Order: sequence, then structure tokens, then C-alpha cells
Amino acid sequence: MTPLLEIDNLRVTFDTRHGMVTALDSVSLHLNAGETLGVVGESGCGKSITALSVMGLIPQPPGRIAGGSIRLNGEDLVGAEPARLRSLRGSDVAMIFQEPMTSLNPVLRCGDQIAEAVMLHQNVDSARASRLAVELLDRVGIPAPAQRARDYPHQLSGGMRQRVMIAMAVSCRPKVLVADEPTTALDVTVQAQIFDLLNEIQRDVGAAILLITHDMGAISEMADRVAVMYAGRVVEQGKADDVLDHAEHPYTRGLIDCIPALGRRDDTLREIPGVVPPLHLLGDGCAFASRCAHADRRCLAQKPVLTKWRHHPVACHAVEEGRI
Amino acid sequence: MTALLDVRDLSVRFAMPRPSLFAPRPHLEAVRQVSFTLERGEALGIVGESGSGKTTTAMAAIRLVNAAGGQVLFDGEDLLGLDEKAMRARRRDIQLIFQDPYSSLDPRARVADIVREPMDLMQIGTPAERRRRVGELFELVGLRPDQMNLFPHQFSGGQRQRISIARALATHPRLVVCDEPVSALDVAIQAQILNLLARLKAELGLSYLFISHDLGVVWHVCDHVAVMYLGQIVESGPRDALFETPQHPYTQALLAAAPSLARRKSRGYVRPVKVSGDPAGPIGQRTGCPFAGRCPRVRDLCRDTAPALTRQGPTDVACHFPGPPD
Ligand SMILES: Nc1ncnc2c1ncn2[C@@H]1O[C@H](COP(=O)(O)OP(=O)(O)OP(=O)(O)O)[C@@H](O)[C@H]1O
Ligand SMILES: Nc1ncnc2c1ncn2[C@@H]1O[C@H](COP(=O)(O)OP(=O)(O)OP(=O)(O)O)[C@@H](O)[C@H]1O
Ligand SMILES: [Mg+2]
Ligand SMILES: [Mg+2]
Repeated sequence: MTPLLEIDNLRVTFDTRHGMVTALDSVSLHLNAGETLGVVGESGCGKSITALSVMGLIPQPPGRIAGGSIRLNGEDLVGAEPARLRSLRGSDVAMIFQEPMTSLNPVLRCGDQIAEAVMLHQNVDSARASRLAVELLDRVGIPAPAQRARDYPHQLSGGMRQRVMIAMAVSCRPKVLVADEPTTALDVTVQAQIFDLLNEIQRDVGAAILLITHDMGAISEMADRVAVMYAGRVVEQGKADDVLDHAEHPYTRGLIDCIPALGRRDDTLREIPGVVPPLHLLGDGCAFASRCAHADRRCLAQKPVLTKWRHHPVACHAVEEGRI
Repeated sequence: MTALLDVRDLSVRFAMPRPSLFAPRPHLEAVRQVSFTLERGEALGIVGESGSGKTTTAMAAIRLVNAAGGQVLFDGEDLLGLDEKAMRARRRDIQLIFQDPYSSLDPRARVADIVREPMDLMQIGTPAERRRRVGELFELVGLRPDQMNLFPHQFSGGQRQRISIARALATHPRLVVCDEPVSALDVAIQAQILNLLARLKAELGLSYLFISHDLGVVWHVCDHVAVMYLGQIVESGPRDALFETPQHPYTQALLAAAPSLARRKSRGYVRPVKVSGDPAGPIGQRTGCPFAGRCPRVRDLCRDTAPALTRQGPTDVACHFPGPPD
């Protein structure tokens, strides 16, 4: 079976005042129909740039897709005409952002925004589109949907706005739903509602979800497979259970062990020392070497490549050499 | 022995704009008759969702927000009754660490001056003693002496939080109010700061009033935990009891909502306790239980009569129908 979405060897660069930096390097990911792929990593590791690449929304310039391909149902989106990308957005791929206000129009009633999105991609009249909008609001769990449809975004709570955005994103039954930290700004009980809703929608609509998060707990609850990113590269990838139970890369292990998990009895948390290096200071070696207890001379000199190892692919010299 | 901090029936109200010229001024009841104690050398966690009144409770307890009523005993002395001068003298015992290490540090000041400033303001020690203390503090929080003359923007988020911690400790406080001290940090950096806070508590015998919406963080740092909902404490107790045998449906819902590595999609995880809706606003008078509108266990009694916080087994609970989830 060919995957629904296949990112192969993607490289994205940015022109900055420090010169050209590589924000994504040799990123390969795939997403099968109906599944959820979680992408996890610390701030700045390239999660959002990956999402924006899929949507064809990398700001160019300063950004540039410098290599690789992104295939949706076999069609390469890299180098596709802007008009083609526009028509795919909303119909085949849709995105939910962290802050709904950035993508909702503040001067348009919620129902009208959804109706507009529906009319853009489906051949329906405005009365039918408005009815569909109310149905969608109902579907995402908004009480009194016909009334709420007449509200402006600022009249809704953060959780409600995120629901409106999800309603808009799923209005055309996209095949791929990209969710970039969709609950970071929300309270935990509301986050749980949104996660449950995304799972329900996946079951109903059959959408594949690319879920971006920095929270390993969210990965555990939501993802079928997971890709761990560090400084613009995928360092470990596999079935969520495999990666969580048999993490190989020292970074992945660190991310799991540093969580102050409920019920964990350890008095001190495992730390990952130091910070993510800025992109313009990345050298020839493994980007994680400066923070890694297992780094040796080879790690400092040569970038490890993602290679299938025991359970799943890992990019680490120490794992490969059996040193950990 | 008296507790370090003993808060009784603390209330805070904020005046809201009048809806019309002659209408009575409505008030927002941000904190309603909140009581708790914090023992020496312990950490009390305050958890709850946005707007539940965590920050306002802490700020009122240390007199940075005016209380509408109640009593705050710090070491047995009534803080709310102190005159300005006596309160200023008390300030050195009480310090604060905020969520945002970016906006809480003066961008134009060198970090050594930032750390020294509380001692300058309170005129603690000679200039030479203050300089020496800054050196000690840098070492204590894991910063290097050669970083003293840098500016805040030259540090990472985690390091900036270390700077705020050093500054908070400058006056040898006994109580440190930590308001979401790691919420703005990446998980890997969170662990560094949480370990530092735990070490400082043990080494210096500090007491923390520790505010967080992250239950895992509170589990890790705190000895006792109070759960707030719309300005009230709905459940409080020792950490293990509260997390292992919560009695209030809201505490149970919070625990069920917190993402956890133990729950796996592959094993068909379905959330056991669900709450619907968002919290209503805390404005105005209300009868009945604050959680009634979202509670899976709600009955008529809950809408009519507010439950009082009473001991129910190992925790104090404000619920007419406490107990394990169905
Ligand atoms: N317009 C831009 N110009 C220059 N560099 C950029 C630009 N946008 C992103 N980057 C860089 O690309 C890298 C990846 O950024 P990205 O936004 O994908 O991170 P992220 O993993 O989503 O982080 P976060 O968790 O903070 O959202 C970062 O180092 C960032 O500085
Ligand atoms: N100065 C103020 N004037 C008016 N209302 C206020 C003021 N400060 C806080 N409030 C209101 O009081 C309530 C409690 O706010 P508070 O900031 O204490 O909540 P919190 O639990 O700390 O929330 P968060 O997790 O978002 O920090 C909220 O409804 C808030 O809008
Ligand atoms: Mg991002
Ligand atoms: Mg607060």
C-alpha cells in the first residue's frame, strides 16, 4: 500500500542574518490513510515548518524548499502551481493551528466563515452552505449551534474557537488533517475534549492526522506512529508503542524520562542538559552531541543517518555501535 | 507549632464596569472564602484551570492584591492587619517567581544588578556583602560567575528562570510564591528547573506556594495540593491521597484529562471521566456548587445549595456526593 502522504528527503532552508540555515534536513515521513502520525520535539526543532511544507505555506522568501518531495496520493506538492496548492488546501489537506484567532476572520460570523469554506470547495448554494455550517458546529460539539453560528469569533471561549476551526477544517472531508499544537493554549479538560473530538472525526471522516506536539503524553493517547525531531531532522521513528516502550535514541529517552509523570516516584527528574543549538551553529556532527552523555568523537564529526535498528529506525552512532 | 502560612476565608472581589449609568456596580468574585495552611519546609500546590483564581489567591495571601475579607497569618502574625512599614519589613521573607522569564526581567539591566536589586531596595548588608551574596546565588542556581555582566536577552529561557530564582532568593525568604514557574519552558528545560526548585527547598528549608495547571509538575514538587474551581477550593489534601483517591468529580476529571504515557491509542483508550463545556465566568453571586453546570453527578441539591469543604476520608472535599468515579 502506498502511503497517503509521503515526505521524502525534504530539505527546507531560510535566509537569515546569520546566512542560510537549514531548518529541515533529510526529513522523510509518511502518513497512511486513517492513521495519526505524531511529530514531537522541543521548540525550534522544525515541527511547524514540516506542517507548513505539507500545506504549501512556507514563506518564500526567506524560506525555500531546497530538495526532496511531498507526495499526496502520488502527486508531488513541491513545485506544484500555487493555484493547484490553493485548491488542495481545504479540500484534500486542511490545517488546525495553535491559536485559532490567527486563522479565523474576526469580522465574520462563525457560521458564515464555515459556509464560505464549504462554498469554495463544494458546488452548493449559500442557503445549503449555511445549513451545513450549523450541522458542522453541532458535529464538533458546540451547544445551540444555530445561535453560535451568528457569533463572532471573539464572543467564543478558546475551546469553542478551536472547535469552530476544526469544523471549518473538516468541512470538506479532507484526507489529511494537519494539527499544529491544537490544544496548547487550552485548559486540560478542554484539551481532552478536543483530543476526543479529533479521534471521533478520524473515525467518522477517515481523515489521516498529522499531530504536532511537544507532549509525549499526547503522543501516547493520540498517535499510531510517531516521529521524534531534533534540530530539523527525524532522529527516531516508529509505531508509538515501540518508540515509547523501546526508545533507542538518547534524545527520545530524555524526552520520556524528563516528564514529571503522575505517579512516578523518582525524587529527581532525568534532565537533558543544555539547550537546542541554534540552526546557524550546527556543525558536521550529530546536533544532539553537545547534550548527549554517549557522544564520542565520531558523533562530533559525522551526522548519523536514520537506519532501521532492532525495533524501528533511529539516527544514532552510539545505538548503531551497540554502545547504549 | 503554628504553620508558616495560615489563610482563613480569604475573599477577593474586582469591581466591574457599570452596565448603565445608574445600575449598581457588579463585582467579580475571583476568590471566595478560601482557606489553607502551608507548613514550614513544605510545598502547597494550587491547581485549576485558567481563571479559577490561583494567582489572585496567592497575590491576596501576600498582600499584592487587596482582599475583600479573611485573615492571613504569616508565622502567626496577621499580614492583612500590618501597617505599611511593618509590611515592608515582612517583604524580605516573601518572594515571587513568575511564569514568564522574558518579561519579568528588566532587559536593560545586567543580570548581576537584577539579582542584587532586592537587597539594595531593602538595604540588606554592605555593598561588599551584597556583591558576595550575588556570587553565592549564581552558584546556588547553577549559573557561571563569568555570566554576571551579561544582559537577560543573552540567556536561554531556562537560564532566565534561574536568574529570577536567584533574585527571589537574595533576601533569604522563607516563603516563595511560584506562579507557573515552568509553564513557558520546553519539557527538557522544565526538568532542570523543577530539580533545582526541589533541591533549593530541601537545602534551604524553603516553603513554596506553587501554582500550576500541570498536575504532573505539582505531583513532583508539592507535599499538599488544593484544587480550585471558579474561585473556590473544591478539594485539598496530602499529595498521594489527592492523586490516588480523589473524591471530587472535578479532581477526577482533571486527572482523567491530563495526558499520560500510560494511556495508549493502540489499547483503545477511552477517557473514563468526561466533563463537557467550559467553566462559566466567576462573575456575581451564585447559589449552589460552582461545578454543577459541568458535573456528571449533578442533582437538584447541587444547584440549590453550595457544598462546604469538609473532611471526607483522606481529603477535604466540597461536594454533596463525593466518592470514587462511577
Ligand atoms: N521565517 C523564518 N526565518 C528564519 N528561520 C525560521 C523561520 N521560520 C522558522 N525558522 C526556523 O526554523 C526552525 C524550526 O522552526 P519551527 O517553527 O518549525 O519549530 P517548532 O518545532 O514548530 O517549534 P515550536 O515548538 O516552538 O513551535 C527554528 O529554528 C526557526 O528559528
Ligand atoms: N485585576 C483584575 N481585575 C478584574 N478581574 C480580574 C483581575 N485579576 C484577575 N481577574 C479575574 O479574576 C479571575 C481569577 O483570575 P486569576 O488570574 O487569579 O486566575 P488563574 O487561576 O491564575 O488563571 P490562569 O491559569 O489563567 O493564570 C478571572 O476571572 C480573572 O479574569
Ligand atoms: Mg511550532
Ligand atoms: Mg494565574
